[in-house]
Amino acid sequence: MRVHQGTNTRGCRSPHFASALALLCAAGAQATGSPIPHGTLELVAENQWIAIGRPFYLGLHFQLEKGWHIYWVNPGDSGEPPRVTWQMPPGLSPGAIEWPAPQRLGTSSIVDFGYEDAVTLIVPVHAEINLAAQPLAQLGAEIRVLVCREICVPGRTQLSLTLPIKSQPPAPDLRTQDLFAAARKEMPRPAPQNCKFSIDDAKDSFVLSANFGSQITQATFFPFAELQIDNSAPQTLQPLATGFRLTVRKSDRLLKPVERLKGVIVLTGNQAYLIDAPVSGRRAQKNKSGYGSDDKPSSKEGPE
Amino acid sequence: MKCSPLYSMLMTVVICAAALLVAAAKVGAPAPDFTATASNGKSFRLYDYRGKYVVLEWHNNGCPYVGKHYNSGNMQRLQKQWTARGVVWFTIISSAPGKQGYVTASEENEYLAKMQATPTAALLDPTGEIGHLYEAKTSPQMVVINPQGVVVYDGAIDDKPTTDLSDIALATNYVSLALEQAMAGKKVETPATRPYGCSVKYPDSTH
Repeated sequence: MRVHQGTNTRGCRSPHFASALALLCAAGAQATGSPIPHGTLELVAENQWIAIGRPFYLGLHFQLEKGWHIYWVNPGDSGEPPRVTWQMPPGLSPGAIEWPAPQRLGTSSIVDFGYEDAVTLIVPVHAEINLAAQPLAQLGAEIRVLVCREICVPGRTQLSLTLPIKSQPPAPDLRTQDLFAAARKEMPRPAPQNCKFSIDDAKDSFVLSANFGSQITQATFFPFAELQIDNSAPQTLQPLATGFRLTVRKSDRLLKPVERLKGVIVLTGNQAYLIDAPVSGRRAQKNKSGYGSDDKPSSKEGPE
Repeated sequence: MKCSPLYSMLMTVVICAAALLVAAAKVGAPAPDFTATASNGKSFRLYDYRGKYVVLEWHNNGCPYVGKHYNSGNMQRLQKQWTARGVVWFTIISSAPGKQGYVTASEENEYLAKMQATPTAALLDPTGEIGHLYEAKTSPQMVVINPQGVVVYDGAIDDKPTTDLSDIALATNYVSLALEQAMAGKKVETPATRPYGCSVKYPDSTH
């Protein structure tokens, strides 16, 4: 699962790449998580208190028994992603979950997208400027999660976290710094300026081409939206001198043409980039479902 | 489809491969034929039901998504409602022996009785042959076939991909919607969705 690190992606290395390291001894006693089926789940905050008027981050840290997995925002062929219902005091509003890059799970006719072992989902929270200071604000989250191996077990758990709300600037919580640093390493990043993606419609497939300035020998695409690609079909990589070309089979259930593909391209375990590119070069011939070239953009793309 | 011995070896391979590719079920295309033995011991062939609407329901009694629709009585209601209107309803069990959801004929009959489920028949597909023919990914995946033998719906049972019983009341049922629209001579508005649920427990050796 490794490409030739250090040589092949030089032109595109993110500036964040090297920074998230060496916090091995920072954490003190880590609180243990609440039980979920075949694992534990913990709600953590990056900072010691909520600073009025400043956004902050919460983390949902899943620790799973060996062989068990949970799902990405697009779970693939089966399963479902974790769902969170927040309970927060007025003036605090949680944003959308930031999902680390997933992996392909399964090798047969059914392939899912998700995480094994451990994963931290990050949630940004907006703290209003007129928030009142208080010593102990209670944040709650009800989480529904499906945990699978060969079989699936649904779980539901209620987590809570108590944090002061202060007018002072935030201070990091040393107990959780390494967790957040590690989680951010797994997050897909915007592609650097010098990297260009393009996507062509090739009848039964999408062809993703990337100009990275150097050869890439491994790449996997994960679309945010369901029903765009044939999840279980092997993705065919053609390394190019300046990047790669990846052929991804379309879903049989794709009845309307796709205007844009949005998703994550994973080059190695810790190099993942966001893609949001128009699908071009569609053949003049109409596809089987009778939709022509004047199709409307789909409203169901991207994570919700 | 057979490959003629008149063709060269290469041509034979190409034609057979093409035949396999078009054999899978697709919305708007003819539903592939199959013959299966039901838990009641009878044999059922899909093509014998031309002229009727047919619903295929992929089933696994250990799957929590299936449990949602059976423990709530939702699946039984649908079976009763639509078979009363002349629809043929096949529950299909594609779990391999030793895997979750695999049942013997008598175990399935006990399950149907206990759950008061009344499909036309529960078809046993332990080799996964029918499942693969329809590229069934999950239980409960649902397929609706019209009287002309064309697949008019393939996907989820409804628009709430969860295991929560309370979501059923809030859900739009895609199977009922497809049947109602097709029976009214209308175009099925949502002919394909992601079939949520547990992965179908095929034998390990199949791909």
